[in-house]
Amino acid sequence: MTDLAENLRELQQRFADAADDVRDEQALENVRIAYLGRNGEVTKVRRTIGTLPPRERPEAGKAINDAVAAMEARLEEVRARLESRSFESELAASIDVTFPAIPPGAGSIHPVRRIIAESCAYFARHGFAVVVGPEAEPDYYTFDALNIPSDHPARESFDSFWLTDTVLLRPHTSPMQIRTMQQHSPPIAIVAPGKCFRRDAVDARHLFQFHQVEGLLVAEGIHFGHLKGMLTELCRELFGGGQSVRFRPSYFPFTEPSAEVDTTCPKCRGKAPACNMCGGSGWIELGGAGMVHPNVLREVGYDPERYSGWAFGFGVERLGLARYEVDDVRRFVNSDLDFLQQLA
Amino acid sequence: MRVPISWLREFVALPNDAQAIADRLAMLGFPVAAIEKRPTIAGVVTGRIATIEKHPNADRLLVAHVDVARDAPLTIATAATNVAAGQTIAVATVGATLPDLTIEARTMRGVASHGMMISAEELALPAEWFEDGIMQLEPTIAPGLDVVELFGLASDVLDVEITANRPDAMSVLGLARELAASYRVALKLPPFVNPGEAREPAGMEPKVTIESPDCSRFIAQRFDGVRVGPAPTWMRVRLALAGQRPINNLVDVSNYVMLETGQPLHFYDANAIAGMHLIVRGAREGEKLVTIDGVERTLGTSALVIADDERTLGLAGLMGGAASEVRPATTAIVLEAANFNGARVRRMSAALGLRSEASARHEKSLAPALTDLGAGRAAQLMRDLGATAYRAHAFGADVVPAQPIILPAADIERLLGLTLPPDRIAAHLRALGCEIVPSQPGTFSVTPPAWRRDLTIEADLVEEVARIEGYERIAAVVPSVPAHEISSAAFERENQIAHALASLGYREVITHSLRGSADAAAIEVRNPLSEDHRFLRDSLVPGLIEYLASTGTPARVFELGEVFAHERELVAEQTALAFGFSAQRTGEPPWRDSSFLRLKGDCEALMREITGRDAVTSPGTQPAFHPGKTGLVTLGGTEIGVIGCVDPRLTKALDLEGNAYLCVVNVGALPVYQTPQYRPPSRFPSTYRDLALVVETGVCAREIESAVAAALGALCTGVAVFDEYRGPQVGEGRKSLAVRVTLQRFDATITDDEADAAIARVLDAVHERFGATIRT
Repeated sequence: MTDLAENLRELQQRFADAADDVRDEQALENVRIAYLGRNGEVTKVRRTIGTLPPRERPEAGKAINDAVAAMEARLEEVRARLESRSFESELAASIDVTFPAIPPGAGSIHPVRRIIAESCAYFARHGFAVVVGPEAEPDYYTFDALNIPSDHPARESFDSFWLTDTVLLRPHTSPMQIRTMQQHSPPIAIVAPGKCFRRDAVDARHLFQFHQVEGLLVAEGIHFGHLKGMLTELCRELFGGGQSVRFRPSYFPFTEPSAEVDTTCPKCRGKAPACNMCGGSGWIELGGAGMVHPNVLREVGYDPERYSGWAFGFGVERLGLARYEVDDVRRFVNSDLDFLQQLA
Repeated sequence: MRVPISWLREFVALPNDAQAIADRLAMLGFPVAAIEKRPTIAGVVTGRIATIEKHPNADRLLVAHVDVARDAPLTIATAATNVAAGQTIAVATVGATLPDLTIEARTMRGVASHGMMISAEELALPAEWFEDGIMQLEPTIAPGLDVVELFGLASDVLDVEITANRPDAMSVLGLARELAASYRVALKLPPFVNPGEAREPAGMEPKVTIESPDCSRFIAQRFDGVRVGPAPTWMRVRLALAGQRPINNLVDVSNYVMLETGQPLHFYDANAIAGMHLIVRGAREGEKLVTIDGVERTLGTSALVIADDERTLGLAGLMGGAASEVRPATTAIVLEAANFNGARVRRMSAALGLRSEASARHEKSLAPALTDLGAGRAAQLMRDLGATAYRAHAFGADVVPAQPIILPAADIERLLGLTLPPDRIAAHLRALGCEIVPSQPGTFSVTPPAWRRDLTIEADLVEEVARIEGYERIAAVVPSVPAHEISSAAFERENQIAHALASLGYREVITHSLRGSADAAAIEVRNPLSEDHRFLRDSLVPGLIEYLASTGTPARVFELGEVFAHERELVAEQTALAFGFSAQRTGEPPWRDSSFLRLKGDCEALMREITGRDAVTSPGTQPAFHPGKTGLVTLGGTEIGVIGCVDPRLTKALDLEGNAYLCVVNVGALPVYQTPQYRPPSRFPSTYRDLALVVETGVCAREIESAVAAALGALCTGVAVFDEYRGPQVGEGRKSLAVRVTLQRFDATITDDEADAAIARVLDAVHERFGATIRT
């Protein structure tokens, strides 16, 4: 008994010294294994219980268990101390939060897609489907079905790239009106974004490859006021509230009445006579619109006395110029990395 | 079209503010591209040179006494050489303001000069369009009149854009009519009655034979006693302000009438018309004609010509011929005011590559009634020039009123969403010249005016009502859109792809669809803008490589767009996707390319996101790609694209430093999204074994993986090659693949013995199939 108690005391003393010397979690674990592990010092002492007279054994067992409890408590104390010391040093660290960020390997969608997506999302919320179609189109869809027969003077305003006698690169997205109406019965509610081509000399305001968003709503009871409503809301969506939209009479063979649509210059808001965005007029051109011409409705087999509708088409890059205050429309097709990063 | 506001004011009372007029025109559908402000000119009066003599002290100067209707004539010294006593001229008096100077009294070589005789340039008129030196006025003009007021020099000029449907508005009168209707003021329209009444002398009566259906009406009128010279100053100034160069009185009259009424005219030297007989006919193939610009033109059958009994005289509605042109010696003319088919004139104009102010109007199909108006106005002006006007002879169809259009009043509300009282609707249409007669209750019977060929259906009238009422009066209403069945799937998929690639770190670019070079299958544009853009792209690859070459630094990009190819003489088009990056060459051994593997990882992630399926890459080849670093990508057995390192020769040719790695996908071939099915993981722990298998270099990692998985069956929950080694330890022609095999049971914990037995089966299988051995 006395030997065991003595051994235990001596063991606890050594344990205490070792535990006090511990500097990290690994060393602490090593101490635990050395004393309390399966083959540790305590186990060795415990094995000597068998050599004691039976009546002393319970007391000896209790003494060992008490010692183990004390040692475990001590280990826990040390662990807590180590942990708090390690937090102390970690918390003592201090960085310069104004240091330049490390950029992620970021990707981005093209600003043209962003404008298309936002415009289309607006229409989709109102129940419009978004459809896409071919860029190489027969002249039937491009012109004839849109009330622009071959000798029509308006064909000149669509100076197109021709691929064959009858196929051209579409100069507008309006063929999608015909394609959609021929595939579906009214009601029709679509927007059709896409790439278009015209033989325009390229300069800071013109591209021969550009994008349009077409819109078409045909049902019973659709009128010009609905066109004004949707496009006014669209401009507010894209440019913010307070945006005005102006409809001016114009001429397109496939709409009657027809309109040019302008919106408040988002840069100067009509307040800068020398504004380089709107030329001081206070307005930027959005695109053309109007009530679908009865000949177009007849062409697709709709009864113009029962159904009415409107259509519009606007230039995406033109909108982009205004939206991002871009100085030169060519930047949209050059897509240089800096441009994409800035507008991402 | 350039329209001096002073000319408009002849026909309609207008506000003073040019901007207000421009805004009004814009809201009528005639946007004003520019308002040309006239400079301030004041103190310039008409004067008559009473005497003129040499300056006593200077050889090059003259001293004149000029009557400006003041108490005494002004003494003015001048260096001009075209001045003589008796001339009527413009004089800037002391205190006058000119665009660049103010006139003061000054002494010129000892002679006190009290003003300046001035040239057209000093009145801010194009100097090259007027006589050199001092501007000469008609002797009938009294001295002392304000020149600015007399000639409307203070009035701004509007540059008005006119849509193709409104040739009637390509005229001062047409625009004045619009403004009068909009402002609800009277149009001051002179009757323009043709003064020609006299019968021509025997044999001088012009006859016209219309052989072509493309001429509906032709007025011919003879004028004698013509003296060719400058037109009156008021006319020359007005033409100049309108941007039309004055030529001589006859040419100027025809231009003036065209600008004022919209009807183009042509004047023939009467003596040049054989048999006094004009014939309108289609040109014969190969027929030749020298036009007034001196160019000999070879005509095709698209041309419509005016001829006489002997020869071709001119191109109908486009340009006259040199042989019958008015000359300085001309004393008699025949006027032509004709109506031609617009499409025919346009075809002729396009075929000859020739356009004129006349053809710009004719090709939009003018109203036949304009011919009488134009001839009448011209005859008045010719009479004012002192010519004898004979009778006007009309050939072809009579001018008949347009068919009435039945307009239900309810259509205004149905199509515009605007409620207007019937009186107001009728008043708007009447203001534009329509005649309205009572029809059934609730409908109007509307006869459009003779000059408006564009009004043919109800919708046209609805637009007219809206224009005059003002589009701004229509309330904006957001409609409730009825349900329909149209799908947005294709658009949404493209957007989804774009967003997925953006989140994988790729930037979207848009490159040119039209390129300078292409392979033989590429589609050529018939009328390219330039050689750099002659072909439609058949692949996104060259454009993207050029883009990567242009960035200077390594970049990750994608493009989603249409590509084109010939397919049995037709144009085939498909939506393509290409994504990838440029990368510097690394020191990796030739059998390893981590750039490829990174791209492949992105491809797999993208396909998983878009289709819910796992993309499989197999060895393959593709033109423009590296023969040993290219794979074909399949999804569920369908080939959807190609992935690889771009052929370094192509990369180099397109000026890209380093290598380019691209994955090209046919978007149309992508299968629909397949919803993945969840499988709960085993409740029992798994174990793994790493194997180093030595095989011949031709054996693919995926073959090993498949064989391992097949050998293990249900026990295998994962097999992946994670490293490759080649070198002396495994010998020439061989490689070591490190494979981690994960084993797990769903019904119990797998034991070590089980796992070891399974791995033994694997080793047997790969040895048998590939001769694989364990690396030692």
